Amino acid sequence: MNLFALKEQLREAGILISFTGSFSHSIIEELGTAVKKYLESAETHKSAIMDVFSVYIEAAQNVRNYAERRGQSDADASIVVIAKRDSHYRIYAGNVVEAADTEALGRRLDAVAAMDKSALKAAYKDQLRRERGPDESGAGLGLIEIARRATRPLEYSFTPLADGRAYFSLCVEI
Amino acid sequence: MSIDKLHLAATASTPTVDFDPDTGVLQLAGESYPENAFDFFRPLLAWVAAYLEHGTTPVVAELALSYLNTSSIKSVMDLLDLLEAAHRAGRTVTVRWSYPEDNDRALEMVEEFKEEVTLPFFIVPVAL
Repeated sequence: MNLFALKEQLREAGILISFTGSFSHSIIEELGTAVKKYLESAETHKSAIMDVFSVYIEAAQNVRNYAERRGQSDADASIVVIAKRDSHYRIYAGNVVEAADTEALGRRLDAVAAMDKSALKAAYKDQLRRERGPDESGAGLGLIEIARRATRPLEYSFTPLADGRAYFSLCVEI
Repeated sequence: MSIDKLHLAATASTPTVDFDPDTGVLQLAGESYPENAFDFFRPLLAWVAAYLEHGTTPVVAELALSYLNTSSIKSVMDLLDLLEAAHRAGRTVTVRWSYPEDNDRALEMVEEFKEEVTLPFFIVPVAL
């Protein structure tokens, strides 16, 4: 493997940080600290730093919580990427989603993507006041929070896998 | 029945906690995005609920939380709900939430919390 060529590819794609593997909390925390330090040195807009960090944390914790909830043994197929193109940041997150979950996830994302800022705020407040279900590890607020920070509607795709599951990719532009 | 002070040192993903039953000052400072926010906040909420049940010491929640992940947001809402209930029951309760003055996102988050309660809630910008 030519590491120089790989490094040049990453640079040309504007990739600041890329991690693939199984997400542990300590990895999420370490990468988060690195992301924030880098942004604080390179970015003058505090809001942009906060938005990138927040979307990164919510996306990475969603992936981790999902893998745990579903007892996935191949959670090392997860990826998170932070890139910068022109003056926009993009946070990507990818993971394997069980066949039974793709439809509901797609519906939730479509619903969130269709909301404008005030509808997102209303949905956020609504979710803030909702009782937490017994098997929910998060607050059900993650996707709404991600969409609130995004400057464009969320983009996502499902790539079918041979075993009937799908590879979920999310792209958030800030 | 007396209640002990609660002190927890900050970690990279959890805030400093300083709850003092004698002064009624409840401090939380830092960022919160632990692996399981509900597990982190559960003993804090239990402490506050027990503290509010007895006594008349005025309570001041001094919060300096500049970033919360969404599950921490939900837990902080639970904390504010406890304080709000005590306020409505006649206890003197105040929230003072400070944020770095250059951090608009932190301010927006605090304002949205403030919209959820009626107790005295002061938002304090801190100069850098």
